[in-house]
Formats: sequence, C-alpha cells, structure tokens
Amino acid sequence: MAIGKRQPEAVILSANALLDGAVVYHDGSGWTPHLEAARVARGDEVSALEALLAASEAQGDVVDALLLPVTPDARGRIVPNHYRERIRALGPTVRRDLGPQARGEHRHVSL
Amino acid sequence: MYRYDEFDERIVRDRVAQFREQVARRVDGSLTEEEFTPLRLMNGLYLQLHAYMLRVAIPYGTLDSRQMRQLAMIADRWDQGYGHFTTRQNIQFNWPKLPDVPDILAALADVEMHAIQTSGNCIRNVTADHFAGLAADEIEDPRPTAELIRQWSTLHPEFSFLPRKFKIAVTGAARDRAAVAVHDIGIRIVANEAGEIGYSILVGGGLGRSPFIGKTIRDFLPKAELLAYLEAIMRVYNLGGRRDNKYKARIKILVHEIGTEAFAARVEKEFSARNGPPAEVDAAELARIAAYFAPPAYQALPAVSAPFEAAKARDPAFARFAATNLFAHKVPGYTAITVSVKPIGKPPGDVTSDQMRALADIAEHFSFDEMRITHVQNVILPHVRLDDVADVWAALVEAGLATPNAGLITDIIACPGMDYCKLATARSIPIAQDIAVRFADAERQALIGPLGIKISGCINACGHHHVGAIGILGLDKAGVENYQITLGGDPGDGASLGERLGPGVGADAVPDVIERIVDTYLAVRAGPGEAFIDTVRRVGVDSFKPALQPAEEAPREAA
Amino acid sequence: MKLLDRTGWKSDGFSRAESAGDASAVIVPLATLDVALAERRAGQPIGVDLPNDSDPADLRTRQAKVDLIAIAFPKYGDGRGFSIAKALRDQGFSGILRASGSIIPDQFAFALQCGFDEVEIEDAQAERQPIGQWLHALTLIHGTYQDGPDGSVSVFRRRHQEAEAVKAA
Repeated sequence: MAIGKRQPEAVILSANALLDGAVVYHDGSGWTPHLEAARVARGDEVSALEALLAASEAQGDVVDALLLPVTPDARGRIVPNHYRERIRALGPTVRRDLGPQARGEHRHVSL
Repeated sequence: MYRYDEFDERIVRDRVAQFREQVARRVDGSLTEEEFTPLRLMNGLYLQLHAYMLRVAIPYGTLDSRQMRQLAMIADRWDQGYGHFTTRQNIQFNWPKLPDVPDILAALADVEMHAIQTSGNCIRNVTADHFAGLAADEIEDPRPTAELIRQWSTLHPEFSFLPRKFKIAVTGAARDRAAVAVHDIGIRIVANEAGEIGYSILVGGGLGRSPFIGKTIRDFLPKAELLAYLEAIMRVYNLGGRRDNKYKARIKILVHEIGTEAFAARVEKEFSARNGPPAEVDAAELARIAAYFAPPAYQALPAVSAPFEAAKARDPAFARFAATNLFAHKVPGYTAITVSVKPIGKPPGDVTSDQMRALADIAEHFSFDEMRITHVQNVILPHVRLDDVADVWAALVEAGLATPNAGLITDIIACPGMDYCKLATARSIPIAQDIAVRFADAERQALIGPLGIKISGCINACGHHHVGAIGILGLDKAGVENYQITLGGDPGDGASLGERLGPGVGADAVPDVIERIVDTYLAVRAGPGEAFIDTVRRVGVDSFKPALQPAEEAPREAA
Repeated sequence: MKLLDRTGWKSDGFSRAESAGDASAVIVPLATLDVALAERRAGQPIGVDLPNDSDPADLRTRQAKVDLIAIAFPKYGDGRGFSIAKALRDQGFSGILRASGSIIPDQFAFALQCGFDEVEIEDAQAERQPIGQWLHALTLIHGTYQDGPDGSVSVFRRRHQEAEAVKAA
C-alpha cells in the first residue's frame, strides 16, 4: 500500500430530465441543471447517491440516471473525469451556441 | 411521388394520437420508462447526450417542397433551427421536448410524413437508390417496391418486437448505389433470361461491431412473391435471432452462425408453408403504387445545352461545380444535381431551416418539385434542365449549398458522434471538419479525384466507416479520443470492408495521416484516371502503412 | 395473475398443474404434455405452457388435442410469441391462444392480430394498467397492412376489393 491515504473517488449523480431531456445533476435534495451545485459523494456517502439513483427510476421524472466520477479543479470546482461528461456539461463542441455553454454555464469545464 | 390514400392517412393520424396518449401515460406514471422506451423508439424518439432526438422518416429519401418547408417550420418552431440528414436518408432533430413531440408528429402527418419505426427493434426506413427514376443503368425504379415494403412493414403485428433493428435497402440499377450488400435485407431488381423483372435477395449484410457483406439466398424471386418471401425471412429471424446479447442480435449473426445455406433452407421452408395473401393482391398493390412514380413531363431537349456550355466557359467556379456535382440523366437535356451538405468546416449533413426553404424553392421551380436525400447525407435535385443549372447554382451559392465536392475527399460522411450521441466513444464531426479544412483547396480536391472518407464515432458504425475508401473509427483509449484508420472499403458492387492500417492516432494527428495517405496514393497511382479505391486494391493496404507515422527524416514541408 | 380478452377481465377456467389430475381444466408444462394428453379425463380441457423458444411445428401433430396454448412473454421487448402464435394459426391450431407474462396494452392489438385470444399478466401490472387502458388501446389504430387470423383485412386487400368492385360496377 502506498504511504499516504488516497482520496476515495468522488462521484456525483446525473440524469436527463424527462420532459426536455436536458442534463441535470442531483444537489442532495433535487435535480438541478447547474453542475456546480451537484452533491459530491465520497466513500460511505456514495451509497446514499446510489439509493437516489434507484429511486429516480421509480419516480420517473428523470431518465438514464448514472453516477459520474468527478475531480475538483484547483479552485475546488467540480469537473467530470470523462470527456463524454464534460461534453455533456457544455453542449456540442461543434455548436458553441447550443447547450449550457451558450448560456455561459460550466465555463470552468474544458475539454 | 407516392400520395397517401385515406387508409395511409388514417393510420398515420391514429399513430400520432396513440403516441400522444403514450406520452401522457408516461408523464402520469402509468407507463414506466422501461415500458415507454420501446414505444417512443418506435416513434423515432431517442434520448441523447444533451436532449431528445427525433428521427423523421423520409421514405427512400424522396420528398417535395411542401414537405421540406414543413421540416423547416418544425426546426424553427420546436427545435434549434436546423436538421441533420442521416446515412439512412432520414432527417434528425436534436432538441425536441417530449411534450412537443406529438405536435411535431401531427405537423408531419399534415404533409404525409411520419417518424414511425425510425428506431426500435423493428423494420426501419426502407432506403433506395437516390438516382431512382433517372439513371441510364436502371432496370426498374426501386421506389414503388420500397413504398410497398414501407407499408407492409408499418405497424406489423408480428415483427414489431424483433431481436434488434432491421434495415432494408432496394436498388433497381445495374450499379448499386443503395449499399444493398450491407443491409439486413438487400433487394436488387433484376431481369432474368426471359426478360422478366424480379428480385435478387441478399441477407445478413451489416456494419457495426461485426461487419458482414450480405449473402444472396435467392437469385430470382418473382415480383408478386416479394412480401410473402420477406415474411418468411422475418419469421425465421424473429424466432431464431439471438435475444441473449444485444451485440449478437442482428440477422447477420444468425446467418453467420448457422451458415448461409442453412439459413436459406429455413426461409424456403417457411416460404413454401405460407398461406398468406394471394400474390395477386400484392401485385395489384405494387402496380397501384407504381403509378405514382410515373416520370415527370420532361421537355424534348437537345443533349447539349448552349446556355449551360456558355455559363461554364464564362465562370470557372460554375465550371468546377458542373464538373463535380452533376450526374448523367437518362433524358437528354437534363441532369441530376448533387447538392453537397458538406460545406468546408461545418458539420456534415446539417442544414438550417433557411437552407431547407431555399432547397424547397429551388426544387419546386427547377426540379419538378422533387428532392432526394442520399445515404451519404447529400441532397439530389433529380430532374434539372441543363439550361437551368447555372440559375440553380446561383441560388445554391446564395444558400451556402454550392460546395463543389460531390464524391471528393471533403464530401465526408460523419455520424453525429460524441458531440450528440450517447453511444459514441469519440467525436466525429470535428475530425470531418479538420480534414475538410485541410483539403479545402478545390484544385487539389480535383487532382485527388473521388475519395470517400467515412467517420464513425463508435463501433456501431453509423458513419459506415467499414465501407469508406478511408474509414475512421473513433474510440476511447484510456480516456482520450483515439482514431483507427481503415482503407479499402466500398459500399457498392464488389462491396468490401476496410482493412485496419495500424494502431490508432490522436485527433490532432488525423489530418496529417490523411495527407500522407493521399500523398502515397498520388505517388503510386497508375494515372489520374485510377481512383483512390482502385489504387488501394491494386497495391494493397500495406503500402499505406507508413502513412500512420510522420516521416522521420523527410524534409519538413514549407508551411 | 389476471386474465383479459378483448371484452375485459375474465376469470380463468384453467389452473396450472404438472399433470392432468382432477382439475376441471388444466395447463401443464410442455415437458409433461404427452403424459397429460394420455391421462386426461374424457372432455377435460388440456392446455400447455409453451416457452417462447419453442418451434411451433413441434406441436403440429398434437395441436388438435390441445385446447389452449399459453405462450410465454418473458420480456416486453421479446416478440417471439407473436410469430409463434401466427405460426400456430397458420398450421391450423384452432384452440385458445394465451399470451402470458410481460405484455403491455400497447401490444394488445398486435397480439390479437397474430391470433391470440387472451392475455395473462401479473397482478401488480394489472393494477398499474387497468382494463380500461387495455380496451382503449384497441380503439386507437384503424387499419392494418396485414391480414390476420382474427379477421383483420389488410389495406392492400381492401384497396384490391374496392378496385375490383369498381371494375365490376
């Protein structure tokens, strides 16, 4: 084992809203389009998010929920690890006028 | 063009009402998402990365100005002002909202369009040769057959919950322009020795994870027996296709696993046991449909058009367009124009609502009010007088639709890729854009000649990369986009699947690799008349392997 | 399980058992069908549970003796049962065809058109999808492009009949 404890992987819960299909994140009490409000879970906290994921399937107001690994950047802002999820947070990279990026959101996320 | 009668109209309208209720039941919870998903897919509604996506059927790619204007209206009213033409002759809208979709479907029904079965494990849009009805090598227009199959497959009670999606293509010409060899069922209209017209039936072609070229299981099927024969194939597949593994569920896997002969035997056994509708009903129906595809009222014109020749002599840009984007029409004095939807540096296959309206106006005025969407994501104006080509071109220039690159290296097919699609492992559109920008120079493109690049953003191969002369497959390599290059694919007659060149490269390297491939081709081709695909076949893919690596000691080219 | 047909909920006259036994009407597993047919009381209806990977042709020699075939639908998306039902009707089975398991109201019309007479679903599903939804689903689509053993007439045939009628007139 390496010396020094490794930070357990951080995850957030994301889905698409049923009605408009837009990307949403769970902030601990409900769904929000704002990535920065997403509740980050590590270690033991992850099971609570998993329970919310299972509940979301029964509730049906979001679709295709999943847990995303994230890493905070130097200023502590949430950045999804995988490039798919960064595209999902921004919008199509070939149409910067569409998606959250067009509203100036999630500027700290880059591909 | 086919026109709905009261029966067709009723079914499409009822389908809209049915879906409206299904949406309401989803929203109120009486349908779970698991139950709703196959239902919305069978109405063309996907959930993608950023939003829903609605895939609207354009049966065998044919539409008129009224329909194109309605698509433009839908884009403006319920979407973000643009649409995307696909490799199956359909159009996709990327931003509809679920509660609006029934209204969108109603607006489509107003112009005899629909989104029925454009997704889901059912029979999808039947595609056909985009030069149907005008090519000199045509034996018979494939579109009546495609329309017959469209109706027969619509809301088919037995075949709406297949192991997987099912794609049928029809060609009616000596040269296959519909890629029938890479469809679940490919149908070739053929003439036998007695001069009778019938069908040659291929099964088990397909791209995706495990690409296969289709196998002929019937050399000559009398026309009247088509639907009965298709039913036999579908029943064998529905019962025997794998249900345990989504990636092994296509008919191509069944044909491969039991063998072509065994598969054909099952079909013949099922076919001979049929007691379906009498062939006379189907034959009468095909004849009824065929009447809608009578040729337009062509004028009697000379083969050479003086205004056309003069315009070419006057304007080199027009001359270049005429050299690349016209297809020989069987009627003297006419031509078919390829409107390229591959403007340099823009997403392939995307059109704005303004462009849709411009196309509608042009088609209405100059092309007997008809357009075709091709499976390479371009638009055909099928019946244009040579006398009018210069005026059409001027209108296309104004609409930003006059790129003179039909079939050339910048006429790139790309799936939406990870910019839009949930299934993708990498982006494809930026790769297409970067390559197009690199090769933008029109003279260089003309020098290179026909070269089909096809890009898929994952192994599902919606960009048809397996049958690209140059194929590019985008994958995820340890969290970084990585692109595998294949060479030597061909979708038409003598269909072949591309061979991998070597390990994948990063996004930034792709245009350089393409340049080195092209440089190799130009250096070894037998002459300017030897197309890229033919050179690859002659010298072999191995000759191109060095192109993957930058030349270590070659002098750097001046920028 | 609850049972319905195109008129509404119905009580199930059949029970399930491993063998013919004393029941008034019984559905047995496929594996014990031959035994049940041999052991049945005179006039005792015998049904069989047919897994949906069965070959309908296997029942051809016995189908005249079978009163009911219950075809399994293990998952909504698994549509083999539709082909099995249609094939059974094509080969002359005239008894009751029951679709059993995961099938939703939106598939009901398809099921009837393939030759099913009735549908059997779990109680929990029946609660979520009351009979009104099932019956209503049948009223939504007018017209079909296929003939069916339920008497459906394809649009092709209707057009042909109309054209012939016009010619005769």
